[in-house]
Amino acid sequence: MPATPVYIVASPRPQVGKTLVARLLSEFLLLKNGKVTSFDINLKEPSLLDFLPDITETADISDTFGKMALMDRVILNDGMAKVIDLGFHAFDEFFTMSEEIGFLKEAARRNVVPIVLFMADIDRVSGRGHDMLLGQIPAPQLVTVDNEYVVRGELPDSMHSGRLMRIPALPTFLKTYIDRLTFSFTDYLRQEKDSSTELHQWIRRNYYHFRELELSLLLQKS
Amino acid sequence: MAKPAVIVVGADKGGVGKTTVSRTLLDYFSANAVPTRAFDTESPRGTLKRFHPDVTEIVDMTATADQMKIFDTLNTVSPSVTVIDVRAGLMSPSLAALRDIGFLDAAKSGQITFAVFHILGSSIASLDEIAETANFMAGAKYFLVKNFINNTSFFEWDQATYNSYFHRIKDATELTIPKLNEMAFEQVEVASVPFLKFVANKGIHDEAANYSFVLRGYVRHWLANVWSEYDRIKLTDIVGSSKSAVRGGEK
Repeated sequence: MPATPVYIVASPRPQVGKTLVARLLSEFLLLKNGKVTSFDINLKEPSLLDFLPDITETADISDTFGKMALMDRVILNDGMAKVIDLGFHAFDEFFTMSEEIGFLKEAARRNVVPIVLFMADIDRVSGRGHDMLLGQIPAPQLVTVDNEYVVRGELPDSMHSGRLMRIPALPTFLKTYIDRLTFSFTDYLRQEKDSSTELHQWIRRNYYHFRELELSLLLQKS
Repeated sequence: MAKPAVIVVGADKGGVGKTTVSRTLLDYFSANAVPTRAFDTESPRGTLKRFHPDVTEIVDMTATADQMKIFDTLNTVSPSVTVIDVRAGLMSPSLAALRDIGFLDAAKSGQITFAVFHILGSSIASLDEIAETANFMAGAKYFLVKNFINNTSFFEWDQATYNSYFHRIKDATELTIPKLNEMAFEQVEVASVPFLKFVANKGIHDEAANYSFVLRGYVRHWLANVWSEYDRIKLTDIVGSSKSAVRGGEK
């Protein structure tokens, strides 16, 4: 049986584009596999849920019951790709728990591949969060996402060492356009006949990177 | 044949985690391939027996017949390690009984290895027992176990009180049992299996079980911490096991 990927989109900082990447990734996986389960772990403000209500469940990991509800599903090698939009409040809680319960070891045993997409930024909190992940996540499974719309300036050297994925900045009017709750990336690709538009290319480019990422990791495992 | 070893786990106060500690000990010895038997003094019900029915017998420590069952067989039965889970309130009377039957003298002269795991609660009454129990401790290995399983604090905030109790006995060794996630603890209770089997996702008869991965993870992590405390005090050496078995189930 092929490996089951679990994408964890994370950052210890708010407003760095986690939900945008989780949306893109969920829509990509839905397009590619025909199915996906996404989890929205934003304690206060549900976000991914607002955009993709049909495939998104909310999860709360502030207590053990919530942790079980989430992790006991995420650990299953059931062929269903999963995306976790991990709110910044839950960053420490999630990775402390995952270290304690031996999530990565058990995942490796069960042919489940956790992939952390770390939304980079140049502040100290992000640097510390990234260092913590370096100690916990095997290098090929840790992807630093350079969201050019958010990151102003050069990323610290430590973030350049592993896998890096760049998301080009969109002009503000397009950013506003894709931030509408009813906007769907895949629908746009289908409906917009002119494939030379900036948004068209932007979406395809990001989908392409996700495909490359998944191929490299899953082929490696099987 | 190895020198028989007796480990008494007790406290004068209830609900401080005696049985939990006894269970971790039985798991520890089983993982280290040290043959062990256990006596549960929660007569007639028996909590320890529920988790480790194969090696546990229920006894009444105050009855002579049962005392004989435990101590007269020390040299004759094959498991060289005996763990006794002493019921709340029976610690001091039990130790007195042991003194009266000459057991403490035998320990003092080195014929028997005798260790006491004294589980502490957080109240002053519980700390007061230390002094009381200490009188019996010549010849015994005395371990003061601070059990954090139910979020106890041990007067760390009041250094004077703390020192007056914890440093009262010279040769006592302190052990710390960390806190286990409540839900994980409850699940193991419900499953009524040894911690080791819970971690391995097995039922009491080694059949496949379906425990939560998260809770198993918490128990595995916690048990590894408890065992590292036992490793620190070289418990297998204390009970005279010559085996340095590679233990399973820890990682």
